[in-house]
Amino acid sequence: MSNRGNNSGSGSNNRPEWLQQYDLIGKIGEGTYGLVFLAKIKSNRSKSIAIKKFKQSKDGDGVSPTAIREIMLLREISHDNVVKLVNVHINHVDMSLYLAFDYAEYDLYEIIRHHRDKVNQSINQYTVKSILWQLLNGLNYLHSNWIMHRDLKPSNILVMGDGEEQGVVKIADFGLARIYQAPLKPLSDNGVVVTIWYRAPELLLGAKHYTSAVDMWAVGCIFAELLTLKPLFQGQEVKATPNPFQLDQLDKIFKVLGHPTVDKWPTLAHLPHWQSDQQHIQGHKYESPGLYSVVHLPPKVPAYDLLCKMLEYDPRKRITAAQALEHEYFRMEPLPGRNALVPPQPGEKIVNYPTRPVDTNTDFEGTASLQPAPQASGNQMSGGMGGTHIMGNRNVPRPVHMVGGMQRIQQQQQQQNMSAYNLASQAAAGMGGGAAINPGNIPMQRGVAAQPHQQQQQQHQLRRKDGMGMSGYPQQKSRRF
Amino acid sequence: MATNFWTSTHYKALLDQEEVDVVHNLDKQRGITLEDFKLIKLHMTNYIARLAQNVKVRQRVVATAVTYMRRVYARRSMTEYDPRLLAPSCLYLASKSEESTVQARLLVFYIKKIYSDEKYRCEIKEILEMEMKILEALNYYLIVFHPYHALPQLVQDAGMSDATQLIWGLVNDTYKMDLILIHPPHLIGLACIYVASVLKEKDNTPWFEDLRADMNTVKNIAMEILDFYDTHKMITDERVNAAMHKLTIRI
Repeated sequence: MSNRGNNSGSGSNNRPEWLQQYDLIGKIGEGTYGLVFLAKIKSNRSKSIAIKKFKQSKDGDGVSPTAIREIMLLREISHDNVVKLVNVHINHVDMSLYLAFDYAEYDLYEIIRHHRDKVNQSINQYTVKSILWQLLNGLNYLHSNWIMHRDLKPSNILVMGDGEEQGVVKIADFGLARIYQAPLKPLSDNGVVVTIWYRAPELLLGAKHYTSAVDMWAVGCIFAELLTLKPLFQGQEVKATPNPFQLDQLDKIFKVLGHPTVDKWPTLAHLPHWQSDQQHIQGHKYESPGLYSVVHLPPKVPAYDLLCKMLEYDPRKRITAAQALEHEYFRMEPLPGRNALVPPQPGEKIVNYPTRPVDTNTDFEGTASLQPAPQASGNQMSGGMGGTHIMGNRNVPRPVHMVGGMQRIQQQQQQQNMSAYNLASQAAAGMGGGAAINPGNIPMQRGVAAQPHQQQQQQHQLRRKDGMGMSGYPQQKSRRF
Repeated sequence: MATNFWTSTHYKALLDQEEVDVVHNLDKQRGITLEDFKLIKLHMTNYIARLAQNVKVRQRVVATAVTYMRRVYARRSMTEYDPRLLAPSCLYLASKSEESTVQARLLVFYIKKIYSDEKYRCEIKEILEMEMKILEALNYYLIVFHPYHALPQLVQDAGMSDATQLIWGLVNDTYKMDLILIHPPHLIGLACIYVASVLKEKDNTPWFEDLRADMNTVKNIAMEILDFYDTHKMITDERVNAAMHKLTIRI
């Protein structure tokens, strides 16, 4: 690990004892609650794990409720298609908490992006079907145990890399999940959930009580995205608290699916935002082009039928995970398989997906990386990016998903430079110094192009140039810089 | 599985009475007897309930907090885990796992208000540190099942709706004992209905027989509850204070 030479704080001697069973490879993610690291188990070098570190919040709130939820649920559940929590550790000195998971090399966000931007070709039908089946299988397990995920989106759906479980889908990130059998408070008290693009219409219309059907809507959106490589409903998120009315997202849905009616969805009339007729959502007439033309499927094929049933407006009529698994789509060729990445037919081309980038300059404290490597800072400026030398001299994995997918894209850049979209004010605010460096939020290039050449070479082996992505970990926003 | 009791970590971690009634060596050295041990846990149960009333959280949060406290003392000593700090910290953690988060500073505020005794005072930081120690002591198993969930249906089925208040009170009182560490919660709930039937002189025998529940266990739990009420009358503040005092003296 030559890159770690300037990493002053990462000596294994001052690490807690339990950490010494792992070899730290580097940082793979970063968020509000802390950092995510890739590590190998010393006694079994072939096994990789992701360690999610929760920092103690400064406000004296103790262990974050997100961590508590995740621990509580993941300690109980065990399923092939749900990410496995292998260990929990506490460091009493700095009051931090570590969750160790089996590491999954890929996620749907990266797989979809790779097909869209790199290979420029749709995902083969076997892979789409296998991913969807396994996702439903995991979800059916969760729902039959009264657990709602509430934050399904491509970046939370992981796929295992090489090894015994290659190509197996894992549902991850249970920071928002909860048991819904007997809530002490209405579920809506929990704040707004589900990334806006994957958010079910009943949530968008302000439902106070909702069901596991919200997860099925998200699965429908993900299914469509696997088919077309584009998010199905890309609404612009309104940022305000609490629970702002997301007109644009509803607008995007209505344009494709047509207007919901009380005839087809009787409880619609009771939903707060429908009732209050916010900005005349009731009056607006939509000419529906039909979902089939958006997803390029003939209306009579089973895939289309299944998709329609997942995107049913009335949550009570929406197909359940158990029913979906029984759908005709899964009983016709190609049949879904356990290894979603390798089609069973010989001779078919295997797509090499990018793996998550690893930042090897960061230690478990997440501090050493703040030291800029001196040789790189000059080059930074030559990239014409106007500064940001603190972060620009290395490849920082992108922090993932706060609320909207748009932010996610935007965040990748903001780590490197500044926002090109300037959508997420909170992300920008979170940058602190960065905002001052680029006060005008001038759109900037991102990624490899902005990297100094020498850095590229240095890190080439550790990170594919096209793979800015990582996956699966909780609501994150950039904070450190 | 999260909400299937029979596959849950709660079920797998149920203990025998003999395992629960073990005074930790460190506590023994201070002269804590089994009697003292139970008394302090009872006292802390009341403390948690009182604190919960002030910060306004529901009974299920109290029940979970008390269960955490009792689970911790099935493994750890009172010498190392001071009950006066452990009790509010358990409530703090339970408020999170039951999705009704209470701020630590609010707990600190009400502790001061309830107890003039300085030994109960604690700082926010101490609660946060103890929260982590509890997580560790619980081995990160946080799911707790309670009798409450199934109770309304059972009470109605048994034709005991007029005794709902009584039964609810009985269930709350079971947390003053270690029953939740030892028995499946629905059997505890049934035992409370059984006790209420006895007190109300209502013959529910056919109903209980139809349930095909483990009636031996139900009756044993019911006996324990009745025994508890008998001995409970003899518990005085002096006895509690004497037991608590043993924890404070330096040895």
